[in-house]
Amino acid sequence: MSEFAGAGAEIGSFYPMSRPDTTPPVEEHLPPREWLKKNLFSNVANSILTVLSSLLILVMLRGLLGFIFNPLRQWNATAVNLRLLMTHAYPADQYIRVWFSVAAFLILTGLSLAVWRAGSRIPVPDVGKRVIALGVFVTLATLLAPFSTSARLSWLAVAVFLLVSGVAVSRTSKDRSVSSLSLLVGACGLAALSLWVIPYGHHSFIIDRTPKILAEPGTVDLTTKLPWTLMLLIAVAAYGAGLFLRDRVPAKVARTSLVLAWMVTPILLLFLVLRDPDFDMGHVLSTDIPIFLVFAVLGSALLFWLTNPETGEVGRMVAVTVLFLAFGSFLTPMRMIIRILMLLLAMFALAGPTFSGDRETRHRYAAVWTGVAIFVSWLVTAINTPSTVPVPGQFFLGGFSMTLMVAFFTLLVSFPLGVMLALARTSSMPIFRLLATWFIEFVRGVPLITILIFFSVMVPLFLPDGMSLSEVAAVTIGYALFASAYLAENVRGGIQSVTRGQHEAAEAVGMTTSQKTVFIVLPQALRVAIPPLVGQVIGTFKETSLLVIIGLFDLLFVAKAIIPNQTEFMGSTRENLMVISLIYWVISYSMSKASQRLEQRVGLGEQ
Amino acid sequence: MTDVTDVTETGADSGGVARSDRDLSNAADMIICEDISKWYGDFQALEGVSATIKEQEVVVVLGPSGSGKSTWIRCINRLEEHQEGRIVVDGVELTNDLRNIEKVRSEVGMVFQQFNLFPHLKVRDNVSLAPIWVRKKPKAEAEEQAQALLELVGIPEQADKHPGQLSGGQQQRVAIARALAMEPKIMLFDEPTSALDPEMIKEVLDVMKNLALSGMTMMVVTHEMGFAKEVADRIIFMEEGQIVEVGTPEHFFTNPTEDRTKLFLSQILA
Amino acid sequence: MTAPTNQASSTHAAVSQRVPLWRDAVVVKWTTQVVTLVLVLAGLWFLASQAGDNLVARNINIGFDFLERPPDIQLSEGIDTHPATGGRALWVGMVNTLRMAAVGIIFATVLGVVVGLARLSNNWLVRRLGTIWVETLRNIPLLVQIIFYSSVLSTMPRVGLDTGPINGWLHISNKGLSMPRVFIADGFYQWAMVMAVGGIAAHFVRQRRVRLHDESGANTSPVIWALGTLIVFGLIGIFIHPLFGFIGPIMGAVAGLLDSLPLLLPQILLSATAVLLAGRWIRSFLAGRRSAVGHLALSDDDYFRIIFTAIAALMAVAVAIYWTGLSSWILNSGSDLFRVIEAKFNVDGAARPFDAMRPDIVKPGKFANYGTNGLTMTIGFAAVFFGVVFYTSAFIGEIVRGGILAVPKGQTEAASAVGLSRAQSLRHIILPQAIRIILPPMGNQYLNLTKNTSLAIAVGYSDIVQVGQTVYNQTGKTLPVVAVWMLFYLATSLTISVVVNYYNVRMKLVER
Ligand SMILES: Nc1ncnc2c1ncn2[C@@H]1O[C@H](COP(=O)(O)OP(=O)(O)O)[C@@H](O)[C@H]1O
Ligand SMILES: [Mg+2]
Repeated sequence: MSEFAGAGAEIGSFYPMSRPDTTPPVEEHLPPREWLKKNLFSNVANSILTVLSSLLILVMLRGLLGFIFNPLRQWNATAVNLRLLMTHAYPADQYIRVWFSVAAFLILTGLSLAVWRAGSRIPVPDVGKRVIALGVFVTLATLLAPFSTSARLSWLAVAVFLLVSGVAVSRTSKDRSVSSLSLLVGACGLAALSLWVIPYGHHSFIIDRTPKILAEPGTVDLTTKLPWTLMLLIAVAAYGAGLFLRDRVPAKVARTSLVLAWMVTPILLLFLVLRDPDFDMGHVLSTDIPIFLVFAVLGSALLFWLTNPETGEVGRMVAVTVLFLAFGSFLTPMRMIIRILMLLLAMFALAGPTFSGDRETRHRYAAVWTGVAIFVSWLVTAINTPSTVPVPGQFFLGGFSMTLMVAFFTLLVSFPLGVMLALARTSSMPIFRLLATWFIEFVRGVPLITILIFFSVMVPLFLPDGMSLSEVAAVTIGYALFASAYLAENVRGGIQSVTRGQHEAAEAVGMTTSQKTVFIVLPQALRVAIPPLVGQVIGTFKETSLLVIIGLFDLLFVAKAIIPNQTEFMGSTRENLMVISLIYWVISYSMSKASQRLEQRVGLGEQ
Repeated sequence: MTDVTDVTETGADSGGVARSDRDLSNAADMIICEDISKWYGDFQALEGVSATIKEQEVVVVLGPSGSGKSTWIRCINRLEEHQEGRIVVDGVELTNDLRNIEKVRSEVGMVFQQFNLFPHLKVRDNVSLAPIWVRKKPKAEAEEQAQALLELVGIPEQADKHPGQLSGGQQQRVAIARALAMEPKIMLFDEPTSALDPEMIKEVLDVMKNLALSGMTMMVVTHEMGFAKEVADRIIFMEEGQIVEVGTPEHFFTNPTEDRTKLFLSQILA
Repeated sequence: MTAPTNQASSTHAAVSQRVPLWRDAVVVKWTTQVVTLVLVLAGLWFLASQAGDNLVARNINIGFDFLERPPDIQLSEGIDTHPATGGRALWVGMVNTLRMAAVGIIFATVLGVVVGLARLSNNWLVRRLGTIWVETLRNIPLLVQIIFYSSVLSTMPRVGLDTGPINGWLHISNKGLSMPRVFIADGFYQWAMVMAVGGIAAHFVRQRRVRLHDESGANTSPVIWALGTLIVFGLIGIFIHPLFGFIGPIMGAVAGLLDSLPLLLPQILLSATAVLLAGRWIRSFLAGRRSAVGHLALSDDDYFRIIFTAIAALMAVAVAIYWTGLSSWILNSGSDLFRVIEAKFNVDGAARPFDAMRPDIVKPGKFANYGTNGLTMTIGFAAVFFGVVFYTSAFIGEIVRGGILAVPKGQTEAASAVGLSRAQSLRHIILPQAIRIILPPMGNQYLNLTKNTSLAIAVGYSDIVQVGQTVYNQTGKTLPVVAVWMLFYLATSLTISVVVNYYNVRMKLVER
């Protein structure tokens, strides 16, 4: 019986609805006096701790504010160089492309927030409490910061306003609540409004190094405030559209297409919009399209035959032959696109028997192959085509966009690789296990930076004649291999949490090992592995900062090495680092919070 | 519970004679085990087990815990590999031949003590997944069949739920429907009611009874003596990896020949 | 077999036929694996041959000769700032890495435990501080933090005579931090021998006190007695440690013996060990698969394991025999080690085990700098040190908190029910259980910390990576240097894992 209870609990943990309602622990509501007594002065030791930590907080806060509001600080270094921080040397006259890409991301974000029902409802009095806390903080800061009297007065006015409105809001009925997303939009809206109203100063980007006045009084530049306001509107509109679609499109379809969009959009934006390849139509028509057509037609026919349930073992042998041909194609001079398509086709062919079925299924499989072939052919051609956007230096993006790009490609590549490694490490085949274990343990045993240096230096040496790879691509491969080893360990944890009974049930209904893996094991394993996987996404994002050591122009490089070398902003390193720390922090922190909420929603958080 | 009685009524036309009175001597052999042995490391779990099970026959396997009952029936659909002897299922011998293993597995349905439903799939998908990807049926057809089977086991209204939301008895009936969806010729049951609360046992046994009446070849490991008496054509008693005694329920429960059988019966019926 | 068995089966039509190879489960399984292995090896070989061709084409030589050659390098800090050879330079880098890792692990653990406990405190403010610490530090990339600390330190005022927040005790300047130093002096090693004896004595004293407690039931405070014994030995040791001077000559003799041994000896020993280990493993493996009646059931995987072990052993033998460098290295480094120990014991009888000094500032020419008396952290060291310690402390804090929270609440309640105080229940009930949960992820953090010290390259602390980069920038030997890095880190990671696993296993044993 106890075994059964265990199994039940385990199954139940997937679906919160099936469990008895666990009410969250309600925090006792104490009057302020007693709250203070209980939490800060319950006994002598506690009181001493309270006094000591208050002193610590005051000293640290004073130091921090003294640093921030020191007139010597050059905070406008970031304001003036915002463009450098975001995209490095991307030409200013082509900036509409950047804004287009940002808009595309925001649209995806808005749709996803709606479709996945993100956000929660917060009782209005709680909002009031937070505003009061903010007011207290501002009061404290105003008293501690090295302000002039007039500045101090105006800050105090802000604090008083916050306190009063906070108290007013917290007095409202406990039953009214507000969605956290609308609060976020409200805050962003206020920020956007302030761009139009408050005279932060008119900063202009230094294009040529002629001395000029960097900041004039007035509100910020129109090229800053107009796009950002538009972006906010677009995001809100996308969320609205998401709400509208949510009830009209089946959830599964909406989610699948959004996930696909998240994977494909960055690539399209990068190589279609931002890089804008200058296709040589003659070459495309005479070479690229014919190659694609051959692969699409012959490949589809092959796959259509392979997915026929009657094909049997002959099909498997043909698939293995294709794999050998694909590997062989690297031994002879050949177009890269042919090799890549061959490899992909071999993958599809090997997976064919797993997905064999009726006519409709087989048609769908061939169609998926054709879609992938189109995308890959386009991508490879685009990458190998010169760009219409002239960018000095080695790579057309830098700064924050390079950080994001490397993180994205790392995850895109490392995810399938990591899953494959995890499967190999848990497989019943000893040689697979050995290979995977050695790879994983090797990669986990050495620091990332040594792998990155190895790849940035060595990849050019490994490539056959006539093939080249930009340093960014080489380093991204290093990142992806590194991430895949860690990812494999997380996925392995998930795979091992799938019970033996699940394997047996799948085998008993006649599934092959790969069908069992695809339909039964991985869906369960990945769900269990969500929290560590999100942790890994955050880790990868933070690790992109190591690009600076390779000498690539990522966010950290711009902040640490480029801006402080401008004559106007000598010695502004600390300020810049604080600003980019804030960027990193906001993104990592919100991802980790979101994952915690997801965990609670899926019900894995509690045991 | 009401829907189960429904099924009993519909199933009732297919039979109704006392099971042990049937003459199966002319029926074809469905499962043949010849002298099979199996070791776990240095522990021998099966010691020369031999038995033949005829088409449409219902065999109940009894025996104390650890006597090798599960091991035996798991060998029959190759969840375990036997090391010596021969197992032939519906004319197909179980060897290293991949095609034979696939064939046998899709002809033999299995129901586990712990249900082992797929928690990430809806009940309907639990039932239709294997027909779609293993039997290669069109999706619509497979789902229609799933719905029909869920009706047969008496829970058509649960199709859109996840297994975690069902009671144990309902889960086990879904598991039976999942096995039946592969249209097996043989069904194996490994203590299907041992993990159930007493009030749910009957609903599962009723479904099994109807299945037996419909002419399915069944091999059932169970401790439900009522079921054994009522439904079994033959009872096989195992101990320490060996078959100790074989006989009709009548013979078995009234005058068993072996001392070990008597001891077991006295313990279990006490 | 007394059971009446059914004999009908013997007449059945099904005859076992031969299975075609491509349908045989075992054949398919092993072909798949071997084909994959061949493809992987072929891929690696292809890449290696490409690299080989390219190296030849670019006239790059990848020999390890630079290890023996004098480099033109000056290191910012370490046991030897003007290394005589490339190998020596890398060695200095390794020592710097290990030093940073060791110090970092100690401080990060202490700070992390404090942070973890702070997050569980009853005091709201302390809890909040802990949360802010954790959430701030773990969400900002470590590299950004390290560079930030470095840039903060480099904007400190210049070093000057009579400066520093506390002159003569603590100096902070653009040359880093300098503070008083307690260090091991010449007499330490002999004193340590006294302490070893003291440790044994303390052990017996403790046992005796425990027995007394068991007999009489009185509180005999065994731990305090043991500590007291140690302290007494420590104090006496300051005066009597020259007694152990005799160890020096013995060590010298051992070193001499190692010098005179033939190369063949380590070769034979290594080969024999490999063969013996493999043989023992195979024997015990076969014994595990053999039934009481001698029936041996081996699966295809079992055959693979046996063959694999045998091949590995043969390869080890081949390496031991053909790579004479290994054997001579073992002998040489063995004798070097004993000579080093000999030197440590050949000291003046009046030498003190410990000494302490306050920081000093020297001004040989125009610019002032820290002297050698104090414990000086260069900016690079300080930045990496604070970076890894703070960053790791946030993660360790979470691990500690999670470990303590994971101990079921009933345990605390049960402890207070039997009348233990809060401190006692923490010491005797909660911590022992929490440690078992905490230890494995803590080991991971130690590994991470060690690997993270490699970020030193960004702020110019001379760790193995930074030194390596300097070396290959000068000699062009990137590939060998990368190989040295990876070997070094693999060895370090392996050592840490082994130590952590050892404690893990011990903890699990205690549980039983
Ligand atoms: N995977 C296994 N490894 C080792 N021993 C096993 C394994 N499975 C079962 N056994 C042993 O084989 C014997 C028979 O088990 P089983 O067939 O489950 O018995 P039953 O189902 O009759 O209770 C038991 O003694 C059990 O301990
Ligand atoms: Mg059993």
